[in-house]
Amino acid sequence: MNQPTVSFLARHEFLIRRLHSLTGIVPIGVFLCIHLAVNASVIEDVTAFQKAVYQIHSLGGLLPFVEWALIFLPILFHGILGVLILLGGSSNTGDYPYAENYRYLLQRATGLIAGLFILWHVFHMHGWFHFRWWIDGIAAPLGGALFRPFHAASTAGAALQNGYVTTLYLIGILASVFHLANGLWTAGITWGIWTSPNAQKKIWRFCAAFGIILAAIGTSALFGMRHAGKSETFETIQGIENRMYEIRVELGDIRSSEDKRS
Amino acid sequence: MTTSGKPASFEVRILRQDAPGEPSRWERFRVPYETDMNVISVLQKIAANPRTIDGRDVAPVAWESNCLEEVCGACTMVINGRVRQACSALVDQLLADRPGEIELRPMSKFPVYRDLVVDRQRLFRSLVRVRAWLPIDDYSDRGPGPRQSQAEQEQAYPLTECMSCGCCLEACPQFQKVDLSEYGEGTSDEQRNAAFDRSFLGAHAISQAMLFNGHPIGKTSAAERLDALMAEGGIQVCGNAQNCVAVCPKEIPLTTSIARAGRATTIHTIKKFFDH
Repeated sequence: MNQPTVSFLARHEFLIRRLHSLTGIVPIGVFLCIHLAVNASVIEDVTAFQKAVYQIHSLGGLLPFVEWALIFLPILFHGILGVLILLGGSSNTGDYPYAENYRYLLQRATGLIAGLFILWHVFHMHGWFHFRWWIDGIAAPLGGALFRPFHAASTAGAALQNGYVTTLYLIGILASVFHLANGLWTAGITWGIWTSPNAQKKIWRFCAAFGIILAAIGTSALFGMRHAGKSETFETIQGIENRMYEIRVELGDIRSSEDKRS
Repeated sequence: MTTSGKPASFEVRILRQDAPGEPSRWERFRVPYETDMNVISVLQKIAANPRTIDGRDVAPVAWESNCLEEVCGACTMVINGRVRQACSALVDQLLADRPGEIELRPMSKFPVYRDLVVDRQRLFRSLVRVRAWLPIDDYSDRGPGPRQSQAEQEQAYPLTECMSCGCCLEACPQFQKVDLSEYGEGTSDEQRNAAFDRSFLGAHAISQAMLFNGHPIGKTSAAERLDALMAEGGIQVCGNAQNCVAVCPKEIPLTTSIARAGRATTIHTIKKFFDH
């Protein structure tokens, strides 16, 4: 009998699925928590957030490598495999309307929403690539790459003034948070950490609480940022950011970089 | 409605199919109500008088049944949208949930032989894949086997109640029907098994693998079962919808077995990586 050629994906299905599960938590889940928490620091005051951004950008030329290796590539892997997983299932909540079955459906729906949102969000703020020709020729004309790290709160906030944009961000953040909180619960089953129905019920409550807290942090970050970009506050905040920049350049903490300002 | 609040008769809608690969069609029958009917007795009434509501005489509806006490799994079908055994599906309850009509369909994840009879070979193939048996292949007297502790017995017993009915597979959103039509007429056993072996095992087989891995003699081939669980279509396909445990008529803790298999394969992978 002719042995059908078994694809790479099929031969290593177990390890690839486990890697999918792992990347969802480390680094992506950890990154989401840090990302939302850092952005929420804008609520306290603009300088706190700007300080955190300076810390991230202290990596200098290494930053793009860190971004791609620890954030973008894991998300791309997780997302592409996620689409394959999505295509391999067929939801049946109509006939079997159980809570876990709805969560199975929601996990796939929020994954898809989060994936599309992240693609757009990274384009919108970051621009995907930081080659000059790409930013000037493609990303900026298409309304992307709006974030300037040394004017962090004011530029991020200015990009969030449109109500539709803010709504899409809110949907994207909540979808991502649900996907992480519920994914944490399913990952614990996948890896065999919580096995009994009783333990799974208890951990679900913990995951739900974690999700609610993270959603609150994410929502605060979004509206805090939106507030910072309002026309009434924009100038003041740019002033604060300019002063921080000048002092840092004077101290020699950073090299002057107009790319990261305008 | 009669004075007792029970209907004089009720309608039964059945998804019928004449032979494998043939198109399916709905037919409706009217069945006189009697007390204490189950879906098997409804099918017997229809077999005795196979005439549809619009007056056509048709071939009697084919179904499988055996024990009539929910321990053999033969009469598993989709009743009012939910997979279960026809013998333990009581008409009074079905009519209370959905007055006037009962809907019967064959399971959708297996090929239909005829009407409500399906071919569940894939279910048994999954058990072969995970070696769901004790590896004792001779007649020599080996003396008494190792003792099982009370705790081990209590963990194993519920898993032994599986009757291979297929409910967990029918309700699973990750368990997809295997399409054998690409092989055309006369699929060989090898072709069919090869197709089954690439597809998802299903909750029943994962649970049976854990049953035999927990058995003192079954343990001797635990690594082979774990390798089978980690092969293509193995435990990694599970999507944690947990419908299996919700529909299992024997209330087998299938999701616990799945999580335990998840733990065992995690450890097995680490061992293979570092001990090899």
